[in-house]
This record gives sequence, structure tokens and C-alpha cells, in this order.
Amino acid sequence: MKRSFLYLLFLTTVFFSCENKDDTVFEESADVRLNAALASYEKQLVEAPYGWNAVIYPGGGGSYGFYFKFDDKNRVTMYSDFSDAAAAKSKESSYRLKAMQTPSLIFDTYSYLHVLADPDNEVNGGTLGEGLKSDFEFSIYGDSLSEDRMAFVGRKNQSRLVLTKATQAQATAYTNGDLAKAVLFNNISKYIPYFKRVTLGANTYEITVNQNTRTIKMTWLNGNVPKTFTTSYYFNPTGVAFVSPLVNGSQTITGFTNITWNANSTQVGFSGGGASGVVVSAIKPLSVDLAAARRWWQAPVESGGDWRSSMGFHVNGVDDAFKVNDLKDDQGRPYWFYMYSPAFNPQYDAFAPIFNDEDGIYLDNGHAPAKPTFTADGRAVFTQLGTFGVIPAGGAVDKSGDLLFDPAGFYLIQTSDETYDMVSAKDAKSWITWE
Amino acid sequence: MKTIFRHFTHCIIAALLAGMTSCKEEGLGNVDDIPGLGGDVWAEGPIDKWIQDSLVAPYNISAKYKWDQFEFGNMTKNLVPPDESQVIPLLSTIKKAWTTPYVEEAGKVFYNKYSPKFFILSGSNEYNVESGSITLGTAEGGRKVILFGVNLFKIKGMQGYDPGRDSSFVKDWFLHTIHHEFGHILHQTVFYPVEYKNISKAYYQGGNWINWSDAAARRDGFITAYSSSSFDEDFVEMIAMMLTEGRAGFDKIVNSIPEGTSPSGVTKAQAQAALRQKEAIIVAYYKNTWKIDFYSLQTKVRTSMNKLF
Repeated sequence: MKRSFLYLLFLTTVFFSCENKDDTVFEESADVRLNAALASYEKQLVEAPYGWNAVIYPGGGGSYGFYFKFDDKNRVTMYSDFSDAAAAKSKESSYRLKAMQTPSLIFDTYSYLHVLADPDNEVNGGTLGEGLKSDFEFSIYGDSLSEDRMAFVGRKNQSRLVLTKATQAQATAYTNGDLAKAVLFNNISKYIPYFKRVTLGANTYEITVNQNTRTIKMTWLNGNVPKTFTTSYYFNPTGVAFVSPLVNGSQTITGFTNITWNANSTQVGFSGGGASGVVVSAIKPLSVDLAAARRWWQAPVESGGDWRSSMGFHVNGVDDAFKVNDLKDDQGRPYWFYMYSPAFNPQYDAFAPIFNDEDGIYLDNGHAPAKPTFTADGRAVFTQLGTFGVIPAGGAVDKSGDLLFDPAGFYLIQTSDETYDMVSAKDAKSWITWE
Repeated sequence: MKTIFRHFTHCIIAALLAGMTSCKEEGLGNVDDIPGLGGDVWAEGPIDKWIQDSLVAPYNISAKYKWDQFEFGNMTKNLVPPDESQVIPLLSTIKKAWTTPYVEEAGKVFYNKYSPKFFILSGSNEYNVESGSITLGTAEGGRKVILFGVNLFKIKGMQGYDPGRDSSFVKDWFLHTIHHEFGHILHQTVFYPVEYKNISKAYYQGGNWINWSDAAARRDGFITAYSSSSFDEDFVEMIAMMLTEGRAGFDKIVNSIPEGTSPSGVTKAQAQAALRQKEAIIVAYYKNTWKIDFYSLQTKVRTSMNKLF
């Protein structure tokens, strides 16, 4: 019985195994269609007569402007807004299309695009081992393509790369060095005071640029009500392009054009929202966040932490002006960070450099401020109650203390949920970043 | 008799079934042009021609400089491809300081038989962020060698060359890696004399090598910290260090071992004797096994390196 059952099983295989008909849903095989797709994508890239404007949004954040010109010999020439040199001088490298899990575009030798993805943090200021988490291998999805626009997704870090067909005028602008002129906008970091304003038509905006995250924050007053708007930005040959436009009543700003830079007067100028203006410095915020100083002091008291600054004070355009990073304690331990600890004990706060070694962290000398006074106009004013240890006269700690106890006090500018810039109310030329 | 017959019938039925199941043989039919079959293709440029003429034709060695994620073992790492301007300087350096000396000493037949055949280049280093280390190169099965950090490579005549920094970088990085990996191929082909293992037997560190400095390892009779990880690594680290440092450089390292006894209880004399015994075994191994005069090879490697830096 068992055996005949086995034979029956054998027989069933006989009847099924010879069914051998290929019925495909598509008229052509997958390979034929894949080859056709790859060829058509390459054709589209190559046949744009004036190349492509490109913006990449790395997985790690930010937005960066590029220009690509592909040829039919697997070569690509590009400009990039990442550095002055890359904006001014083109670089040629190679690319190819390849069938992977999806049809893919690979920039397969080093180019300006790879600078963002380089895991060496010294190349791009990103994270060691990851860089800015960008991409140079992209998946192509047919439904993200149109005649004038191609959008790709990075295979490793899911960066977005968007290509739009360039015009003859745009191509000429790149070769004429217009992108290099646009990145002159970066000189806005050379203003000595912290606060910068620009008047465009009827509106005055406070402008705060973060070049590391590629964001611009604009603040203005609607009557007496402060309004803020933050956008990512990148550069193209006409200037600064906003990823999302600022709409303020009848004024819409999509970016800045006609960028100018006067090195003698240290002034950046541009057009935007149908008007032109020059960026001027200011010694106080356009709109003071009156509660910020108190909030800043209270936050660590509630969470049990402290405020830390790796760089100490920035003064007159110089980072770490007092060279706190060179400090060593009496045992020769290296500097770790500068601390402001509100309510260090019931009587006073602490403002001092912290040193560390394998075994622990150390406070060697520093200042003991009283709890700051919070003025009605939003400043925090610090006064000295005592000191910790012996502060070497004329050293970094001494100078940092002198600045902290300036009678004009400081504005606290909240830059993110957990970071503040503390800016001198005297002239806005000194500040310290707390995180 | 009856039982045998019954078995026969079973066999016949089985054979019959087998015959029925095997369908009519068909040809492969229409095979489409499968994308990427036979490797990627691109319009060839001067670098491709240089590789063809200088490595593929004479030595049957290929070098892949265009990005291919799947050549790299660890897919989770962020890497970038090499800059095209770096490819020929790097490969010609390897050729001068590794290929040519071996070909001159041992002949093309030897070299072509044992040399790794695939070089894969990465522009950036491979960072191991958790351990704080960097991978310089890897080798797989004696056939494939991956070199990292190609974009950081600089030799005399290249823009931004700094003799102090770059010569030791290229020596310790690329050339050391190649000679190290080739050493593995040699001992995996013909094993080295077992006496080698007895020289420092008690002092190998295994995986703990990473916590050692080269200086500390030398006091125990190892040429580098990595040497102390296992017998085989010790053997090939010795080869790599002796070739890239040259005889004078190697002597200098041996002579610089400080007085006193190491924490493991090895005296200066014992550490030096261990390194000298290892050297002697390697020289004899090259002579007896591969008919290579090691000191002559060492001179040729060093001479070519001196020209590059």
C-alpha cells in the first residue's frame, strides 16, 4: 500500500514537470526592458544640450547646489557650491549606469559630489566614518522622471538628488564663474557683531545663517509681533536659492540674487523679494526674547545638568579668543569644556573650565557668580560672588571672567531646543555658545 | 529467485518513470543580453589603458578603481571611490616597490603564479569608529587585495607632498600592506619551518595585540604589535617590515630595544635574539623554498622606495 502511494507520487511529478510554456505578461523579457531603460536614462542625461542643474539633499541634512554635464563616454563635468574652489573650477570624473536591484546611476570616481559623502570628517566637517551622510550611487525610479526633471534616491544614505534641465544661459553662467560669485554670500560670517539685518523694500529682517546645516533664519516684526521663518538653502549661479519661499504679506522671497561682497567695508549685499539691500550689523536682536535669559538659567536647574561650551568666548571675529582650549590644570590634565552651572550650590553659580583624564573630571579654578539679574529688557547680568582656587592673572580664565561680569550683561539667543548663544549686550561683538 | 525478480520489476518501473519525467531537451533558446553579464563596461580612458599595458598584459593583474560596492566586504561602511588622478601614481608605486623587485629576484613565472590578481581601490579609509581604528587593506584568499585611503596617497612630485609625513604614510600604509599580504600567500603555499613558532611561543597576545604599542611588542621580541597576534601574522609582519625598512632600518629597530626586562620577563638580549632568529629563518625560507636571495630583494625594494620619496 505504502509503495503504491509512492508510485502515485512519482506519477504526479511526471504529469506536472513537462508543462513548459512561457507566458509572460510583458511583450519583452525583463533583460530587454532593463537594457532599454538603462539606455534611455543615459540618453536623457547625455542629450540635455546644456547639462543639468542639480540639488542634493544628503541623508545627514542640508542642501547643496551642483551642475552636471554628462557626455556619452561615461564622463561627467561638474561644479559644486560646497567650496569656493569647486564653485569656480570644474572637475571631470566618470559615471556609469548599472542594473542593480534597480537601474542605478553611479558617479564611480571621485568628484565634487563625493566630497559630501567622504567618511573623512576633515574633508567636509561631518562625522568621522560618515561624513555628511551623502550618496554617489543612486536608484532610478521611472516614475520620478520627466523630460526636464530627474529625481534619484541615494542607495546608501537615501539622499535625494534632483536634476533639472539647464538652459544655455545657465550653462554659460556656470562657466563664467557666476556660482563662485554667488558663494561670496558665505562672507556673511565675517561680520564682527552677532546680529545682522537687511532691509528689503518696506521690511527689515534679522538674518541668521548657519553654514554648517545650510539654513537661513529670517526674523521680522509684524506690528509688534515677531515672526520667524527658517529654510534650507543652496547656491546656483544667480545667488542663494531658498528650498522653501518666505511669504510675508505681499512680499515673497525665494532667495537672494545679485550677491555682492565688499571686503573693505565687510558688507554683503543682495536682492530679494523685489528689492535690494545691504546687510548691516546690529548690537541687539530685532526682537528680544524677554524670557530667554531666565529660561536658559532655569533649564539645567530643572534637569540637573549644566551648560557647556567647547570653544569659550568668540571675541571680535576670533573663535576661542582667550584660548581656553590650551588650558591645563595644575596636574597637567587637558581642557575639556567651559562650564556654566546655574545654582552650583544654594549661594552661587559656577563658571569655570573643566579638565578630564581617564579617572574623572576636575574643576581646578574659576569664578563663582551670584545668580544673574534678569532685566526687564531681556538681559542677564552677572556679578562675581567669589572664586574657586587661584585664578592666574591675565590667563584665559581671568579674561573669560572679566567678560562675563561686564555690567551690560548678555542676551540669550535660543538657537535650538537645547542650545543658546549668549551675546554681549554691550556691542554684540563677543559671544559664547552653550550646549 | 522470486524476490530477485520482484526487485527487477521495481527497477524497471523506476527507470520507466525516470524516462518519462525527463522532458524533451530544448536549446537555451533566446537568451537576452543580460545587463552587466561579463562585468561592467564603460568608454575606456588613459587609466584603463595604463592598467591594461602595465599590469594586465605582463602580470595578469587587474585593478578596479571605479566604484563597485560589492567588492567591499563590509557593506555598512561609508567609503568613496578614488580620484582618477591618484590611480596611476599609486599603482606604479606598488609596481616599482613590490612587483619589479620580486620579478627581478624570482622571475616572472614565480611572480605571475603567486601574486594576487585583483586590486580593489577605495579613495577613503575604512573607519572603525567604535574601536577607533582604520583599516589599511584587506586580502581575500590570496587573490584579491583591497587598498583603502588611495586619495590620501602622495609621492615625490605630487602637489602638496610633505616628505616627513607622506613617505612614512606610503611605506607603512600601502607598501607594508602589499608585502604583508604577499607574505601570507607565500606561507600558505609552502609553510615556513615550524621552529619559527617556538621562538616567541609564550608571548603571543592574540586579539589583545591592539592594546600594545610597537615599542612594547619589540621588548618581547615582536617586530610590531600586530606581530604578536599570531604565528602567521608574526611571520608576514617580519617580511613586510624587513622589506620596507631595509636591512639598515631593520637593524636600527632591533638595536633600539631598550635595556631591562619587559613586563613579560623578556630581557633585551632575548628580544634581540628572537628577532634575529626570525630573520634568519625567513632568509633561509626564501632561499630554500623560493630560491630568492632575501637580502638582495630587500635592497631592491629599498632602492626603489628611495627614488619615490
